[in-house]
Amino acid sequence: MNLLEVMGIDVAYGYAKVLHDVSLKLQQGEMVFIVGRNGAGKTTLLQAISGLLKPTAGRIIYQGQEIQGLPAEKLARQGIRFVAQDKKVFSDLTVKGNIELASYASGEDLGRAIDRVTSLYPKFSEFLGRRAGGLSGGQREILLIGRALVGAPKLLLIDEPTEGLAAIVIEDIFRILNEMKKEKVSTFIVEQNLSIVSRLADRIYIMKEGKIIKEMADRAEIGETAGLESYL
Amino acid sequence: MASPRPNTFPVAPLRKGIIARDMALIAVCFVLMALFIRLHWVIDFTIFCILVLSFDLLYGFMGRLSFGHVLYYGTGAYVASLVLAHLSSNPFLAIAAGVAVGAALAAVLGFIVMQTDGAPFALINLAFNQIGFWLVASGFQRYTRGEDGLNTTAGAVGFINFTNHSIAFGFLLVCLLLVFLLLKVLTLSPYGVTIRSIKENDDRVKFLGYNIFFYKWLTFVLSSTVAALPGTLFAIFYGFVAPTIISPFGNVEVIFAVLIGGAGNLFGAIIGGVVYKLMSNYLATSITRWEMLLGILLLIWVFKFRRGLTGYASELILRFKRKQGVEA
Repeated sequence: MNLLEVMGIDVAYGYAKVLHDVSLKLQQGEMVFIVGRNGAGKTTLLQAISGLLKPTAGRIIYQGQEIQGLPAEKLARQGIRFVAQDKKVFSDLTVKGNIELASYASGEDLGRAIDRVTSLYPKFSEFLGRRAGGLSGGQREILLIGRALVGAPKLLLIDEPTEGLAAIVIEDIFRILNEMKKEKVSTFIVEQNLSIVSRLADRIYIMKEGKIIKEMADRAEIGETAGLESYL
Repeated sequence: MASPRPNTFPVAPLRKGIIARDMALIAVCFVLMALFIRLHWVIDFTIFCILVLSFDLLYGFMGRLSFGHVLYYGTGAYVASLVLAHLSSNPFLAIAAGVAVGAALAAVLGFIVMQTDGAPFALINLAFNQIGFWLVASGFQRYTRGEDGLNTTAGAVGFINFTNHSIAFGFLLVCLLLVFLLLKVLTLSPYGVTIRSIKENDDRVKFLGYNIFFYKWLTFVLSSTVAALPGTLFAIFYGFVAPTIISPFGNVEVIFAVLIGGAGNLFGAIIGGVVYKLMSNYLATSITRWEMLLGILLLIWVFKFRRGLTGYASELILRFKRKQGVEA
């Protein structure tokens, strides 16, 4: 069953059309990756699904309901969480404060929310009282993913989780995404790291100049990173 | 999945001992000031500090700089004076009416001003403040007596008699402590965590499912309602209000006081309020062109010491603790 279906959406910034007739789908429990060069429209697509941008045409169906144009906070309350690319946590709050904020919003018990995040990255249990602004880039990304998982969202949108991170931290992110895959968390990820994409993807969409130019759902084809490199 | 409750703000478990200690410290400092400085100055400081605390909720904690906060202070003052002049000499009725009208005005205007952020927010508030000033000075002159101002006398209720400066000071100090307690509880609660997050990044808070307009509107109303309280207290204590009380120029004093003390820190708001008033009062008695010197001092402060007294004090304490940790 499709949890999310994007049907022929166009998105524009003023007069500049960025997405052209984009269609894709994500089934319950799938981990779907979007791959493409810089400027292909990947982030714009995630922003349109998350409610940050309103499509000028087309439909977005989530759990059988049209959601295009609904505000981000309403979609978040319906279970769609967006982890943006810039790795910005609430830097003046502590690590615990960041988790608390997600816990109040989702209604999940704070203790359970903290357990959920620290189980992803056990070192956080030592850092709970530390200002989140002092965390490394990788730790911030993990905190953002963990915070988005509080309250068990139905759909997670993650924009370039490994961008700008050291190889050792990328392995941590891979481990976390792999855990999510095992737990069947429905996830849409924009990612350029083909090693991660080929190991985790259930389905891949390749974007170029605001259009989906290829869909891959065959495991054998997905496992071949060489085939994907030509699109980056 | 648990049901979302993004518009609730249950109060966090209070650190009762710490809050009680903070309140005792404030009370002792104000009583000591009252013993060593002129009492009517300290009364003026107390009223001003409540106003600065209210502004700190909006600016320091939620990051919304308003150039029109004094509108609600002036509204409280004028409504309290009108109640005393035309309805009843009961000061508590005047306070309740002033605060209620301030809250109602903020609730309505909040729907407009909170549609904006940054410079438009500051300037729309300034525009409303200017309208309020014009209404008091000219539009409603028949009721407010325009530039001549409005004289009133509040009656005594039990032992609370505002003509007795010591009793008035005691009452105002209790008001200051109650406002401090209220804001402390609010800012330590999940609501406080949410507005501090809104200060950092609206969109990120939206992604968690919060209705940020509601939080911004609520904070504006709370902050403005608290600002109306010192206005009513000013009107009752001094028995006179004139349009200067609602003049947009008054916003500058409040903004500087918050910057001096350190934005987003309730102690900072009180320290900033006292330091600003001490500077303006002492400079006025010793220097002819004191406003110019005050302006220069404040310019230096804004450029060089933007984190405020409490910001630098926290940094020093942190450094000291780290040094001790290293030595140990």
